[in-house]
Amino acid sequence: MEKVCVLGAGSTKYGKLADSIADITTQASVSAIESAGIVPKDIKASYISNVFGVADKQVHLGPVLMSRLGIPDKPSLTIESACGSGSVSFREAYANVAAGFYDCLLVTGVEKVTHTGTEWTTTYFAYCSDFFYEGQAGASFPGLFASMARAYLTEFDATEEDFAKVAVKNHDNGVLNPKAHMQKKITIDDVMNSPVVASPLKLYDCCPFSDGASSVILCSEKFAKENGGDYIEVIGSGRGGSPAALQGREHLTTIPSTKIAAEAAYKMAGITARDIDFAEVHDCFTIAEIVDTEDLGFFEKGKGVEAIREDKTKLNSDISINPSGGLKSKGHPIGATGVGQVVEVFDQLTGNADQRTVNDAKIGLTHNFGATGASCAVHVFQSV
Amino acid sequence: MSVEEQLIENAKVGKLLTHKCTDCGYLHLSTAYYCLKCGSKGFEDVLLDGVGTIATYTIITVAPAGFEKYTPYAFVVLQLDDTHLRISGFMAGIATPEDLPVGTKAKITGFDDRGIIIEKQ
Repeated sequence: MEKVCVLGAGSTKYGKLADSIADITTQASVSAIESAGIVPKDIKASYISNVFGVADKQVHLGPVLMSRLGIPDKPSLTIESACGSGSVSFREAYANVAAGFYDCLLVTGVEKVTHTGTEWTTTYFAYCSDFFYEGQAGASFPGLFASMARAYLTEFDATEEDFAKVAVKNHDNGVLNPKAHMQKKITIDDVMNSPVVASPLKLYDCCPFSDGASSVILCSEKFAKENGGDYIEVIGSGRGGSPAALQGREHLTTIPSTKIAAEAAYKMAGITARDIDFAEVHDCFTIAEIVDTEDLGFFEKGKGVEAIREDKTKLNSDISINPSGGLKSKGHPIGATGVGQVVEVFDQLTGNADQRTVNDAKIGLTHNFGATGASCAVHVFQSV
Repeated sequence: MSVEEQLIENAKVGKLLTHKCTDCGYLHLSTAYYCLKCGSKGFEDVLLDGVGTIATYTIITVAPAGFEKYTPYAFVVLQLDDTHLRISGFMAGIATPEDLPVGTKAKITGFDDRGIIIEKQ
């Protein structure tokens, strides 16, 4: 297998964006191309991740992007895997470079939904569940994670204030990220007093619906050395699956796909969870970050809540979790999120994370899943 | 009838249609086409009483389209008695966590435009 590198990375701001989905897809791609120090004709193909292009009247985004980049003859592919689309798209591109099919690929994730309003997004996002059992019975996505939260509160020594602390921490980090959707500090009281969305989760336990696009250039090590400036190496890649509906899982407070994907990524990288300096994890809801940090092996099952309580996951503490602000504060443009995590890791490991820099970081991890973790991909990166 | 329609018709009378593997005996919801444990495709239908206890739940106040008129309501996961199986469903009339402690006895009572209906026993 070829060694695979990330040569460039860029994002639009996340939030409510006025430009069209085609425009923001292109903007992020251009910033990644320029970050890599290459030109569009160096790109051999593109992988686009997107879920609800239909909301902005544009599906089949790949050819639109390639046309705007002046390379309409180059192939493209759009991948949907709910909120995990970005990391799956990244993985497919990774596998193609590793296998030697291509030496330079563009991976761009995008979502444009905020103009549709809360009811549209709540309704359509629920289509990512196992709809026959869950969406059809009135489950929203906050509702499904709230069901995990209720199970966690029942099984372990945890409180709703503990969950709130995840939101507070991620907003503290997001304030330092100029691309973040929610750039404001919040308090535990702010979270506890925010309106209930799906008990026990309140509005500030939930990530926002966001617009945004993120893009990276993936290439072989040979291409990186010959064509680019700073780059980082992908040293581990893993994917996993879980029963689509929560009801089918052995434990209601564990996401099996995370464990499977992480184990595969750690094995490929020849490391353990202890070697990770920082991680961008899928905190679509506060409970998710606690569960993620356990399933990724950073803390024992049931101890993730102690870690947040004891500030072990703050920026530059034991392990910096979501230095970007995470989905909670940076925002969650669902097709873009998994790619945006790689942008953060690239910025961190190439010394471009400014005030939110994780000191002396050498190894970073991305963890991104679809729906309630029915699909998941984990990647591990190393500075060069 | 499709697999889903068969499950629905049984839910309407408070029953849960399940698939028992004829090779290893493992029990699945009836939407399973292959055995989770042994990969076999042979199943026999087993009809369960849809009774059990609440494994977890949420009370939804911001609802998907079509459910606004029912808020607040609970989306519940029911642990079926005497089996490892769970089934999700809609429960009306739940406003606060005090209304529905985890472990509350409940049962399937029907199926309509709110999916599988579950009520407290």
